[in-house]
Amino acid sequence: MKRKILINVAGVLIAMLLGAVTMLVQGYNPLETYGALFDYSLGNGYSLAITLRNSVPLILTGLSASIAFASGPVNLGQPGQLVMGALLTTICGLYIDLPPVLMIPLLICAAILGGALWSGIAALLKGLFNMSEFITTLMLNFVADYFTYWAITHPLFEKGALHPQTPLISRNGWMPEIGDFNTNVIVMFLAFIVAWFIFNRTTSGYEWRISGQNSLFARLGGVKVDKNYYLVMLLTGALAGLAGGLIIMSGPHRFIKGLGANYAWDGIMVAMVANNGIIATLLYGVFFGILQTGSLGMELITAVPSELITVLQAVIVLIVVAGRGSFEILAGKLAARKKMKERST
Amino acid sequence: MNVFIGLINGMIASCTPILLAALGGSLTYYAGIFNIAMEGMMLSGAFFAVLGSYYFQSWPLGILFAILGALLMALIFILFSVVLKVDEFVTGIGLNLFSLGITTYLLRQIFKVKGAFANPDIVPIPRLHIPLIADIPILGRILSGQNLIIYITVLATILTWYLVFKTRFGLRLRAAGYNRTCLDTSGVSANRIRIWSLLICGVLCGLAGTFLSLGYVTLFSENMSAGRGWISLAAVILVSGHPVGIALISLLFGFSDGLGLYLQSVLPSQFTSMVPYVATLIALFVYSVRKRKQAALEIAGG
Repeated sequence: MKRKILINVAGVLIAMLLGAVTMLVQGYNPLETYGALFDYSLGNGYSLAITLRNSVPLILTGLSASIAFASGPVNLGQPGQLVMGALLTTICGLYIDLPPVLMIPLLICAAILGGALWSGIAALLKGLFNMSEFITTLMLNFVADYFTYWAITHPLFEKGALHPQTPLISRNGWMPEIGDFNTNVIVMFLAFIVAWFIFNRTTSGYEWRISGQNSLFARLGGVKVDKNYYLVMLLTGALAGLAGGLIIMSGPHRFIKGLGANYAWDGIMVAMVANNGIIATLLYGVFFGILQTGSLGMELITAVPSELITVLQAVIVLIVVAGRGSFEILAGKLAARKKMKERST
Repeated sequence: MNVFIGLINGMIASCTPILLAALGGSLTYYAGIFNIAMEGMMLSGAFFAVLGSYYFQSWPLGILFAILGALLMALIFILFSVVLKVDEFVTGIGLNLFSLGITTYLLRQIFKVKGAFANPDIVPIPRLHIPLIADIPILGRILSGQNLIIYITVLATILTWYLVFKTRFGLRLRAAGYNRTCLDTSGVSANRIRIWSLLICGVLCGLAGTFLSLGYVTLFSENMSAGRGWISLAAVILVSGHPVGIALISLLFGFSDGLGLYLQSVLPSQFTSMVPYVATLIALFVYSVRKRKQAALEIAGG
C-alpha cells in the first residue's frame, strides 16, 4: 500500500517536473505558474467548490472505465454514453416540469437510462453477434456525438441562438447549491458508494473481479459470464450517463455544442492512471479536476496556455503507468537476487 | 457521368488516409503489437505537415516534417511499450491523449489560434498530371490529376504486401508476431523487428496525416484525424492484417464516406457524417456473422 502511494506520488512529481522544464524552455516561470494553478483551484472556499463540481464528471466516467476494465469488458464508450445521458436529461428537463423533489430524481434517472441505453446497444451487439465492444463502443461514440449535435441543431434548437444549443431546462431540475457547493457532489458520492459496494461487497462484484482477472477460471468456477457482461456494461454506461446528466443539471443547464468534447477521454485517462482501482479513481479524479480547473487561472495570471494541462495529464498517465511497471520488474529482480543469495549460503 | 467521377474521386480521397494508416497498422499487427496509436501518429503528422509547409513554404518539407512528427510519436511508443514494457493498450491511449494535447497546445503557442489554422502561405501537396493517361476519356480523369500522396499510397500498398510476404524482413516480422520466443532463440531479436515495424508505421501514419492537412484540405484543426485512426484499426482487425484486404476494405470505407457527402442533399449533415462509423459497425457485423458460420461449418465438417 505504502509502496503504491509512493510510486504514484513520484510519478506525478516527475511529470510535473517535466512540465516545469517545458515552461522554463518557453520562458515562463514554473513556480509562479504552478502557484497560480493551485491557487485558482484550491485557494479559497469558492474555488474549492468549483473544483469539486468540475471533478464530478471526471470521477464518474473514471469509475465507469475502472469498473469495466477491472471486470473484463473494454468499454471505451464513456464519451458517447455521457452525451446520451446528457441529452435525455435535457429532453426531460425541457418537456417535463415537476416540483424539485420529484424533478431532480427524475432527471437523474433519465441520465442513467440514457447512458445505460447506449452501452446496452454495444452489449447487445456483443451478446448477439459477438462484435467486440472495444470497436463498437468507439464507433458508437462518434454516432452519439453527431446524433446529439443534430438534436441540438434541429429539433431542440433554441430559436435565435448563435450556436447550436437547447433552451434552459426547467429551473426545478437545477441541482441546488448550498452556499458555493453544488449538490452534484453529493449525488456523485452516493453513486460512488453504491458502485464501491456492488464491486467490493456483493456476489456479482466478486464474480466481476474474478472474471476480470481470469475469465476462463471464472467460467469454469460456474460464473455466468454472459449475464455479468451485460450487468457490467449497463452499470458502467449508467455511471457515464449520470456524469452527463449532472453536467447539464449543475453546469450550463442546457445542452451546448461541444459539451462532450471537453470530457471525451477523461474517464479512460483517470481509470488508466488509477490502475482501475476504485478509491484511486476517486483521488485521481479530484486531482485532474484540480489541474483542469486551475488551468484557467494559470492562463489568466501567467499567460501560459491552458492547453498545457492536457499535455501534462497525458504525461502523468504515461509516467505513472511506466513507473508502476518498471518498479515491479525492479522489485522482482531484487527479490530474485535475495533468494539466490539465501540459496547459495 | 460527372457525378459518377466525382463519387469515385471522393471515394479515393477519403480512403487514402485510412489506407495509409492501416498499412502501418498491418505491419505492427504482423509483429504482434496491439497498436492503437495510429490516431495519435496521424494527428501529429497532420500538424507538423502544416508547420513545415507554412514555415518553409514548401510541400516536400511539409511531408518531411509530418514524417518526423509521426516518428516522434512512434519513438515514444517504442520507449514505453518495448523498452519499459508498459501495456500496449495503455501506451496507445496515453500516446493518443498526448498527441491531441501537444498539437492543440502547439497550435495555440506557435500559430496563436484556437480551433483551426488556415493561411494562404501553407503550400498544399500538388496534384500529379500524367501526360498520356490524362487523355483517356473517363479513366483519365480518375487515374491522372490525383494528389501525389494518392500515388504514394498505391505504391505503399504494393510495397507493404511485398515487404510482408516476399522479404526476409517480412518473414521475421510475421515470426515476431507468431512466436517471438522462437524468433529470439533463432538469433533474431524480436524487439528489434517490433521497433522497425513501429517506425515504418510512424512513417505511413505521417503520410496519412500529411494527406489530411495538405491534401484533403489545406489547414490544421484540433483533433482533425476525427477517429480515422480507429477506423483503420478496425480495418486491420477485420482482414487480420492482410495488405490487399486492407486496401479493399479502405476503399469500402472511402466509398461510404463519399456516399455520405452525396447524401447531404437528402439528409442533415450530422447524419451523413455518421456514415463511415456506421459502415465500420456494419463491416464488423458482417465479419462476425461470417466467422460464426465458418466455425459452425468446421464443427459440422469435423
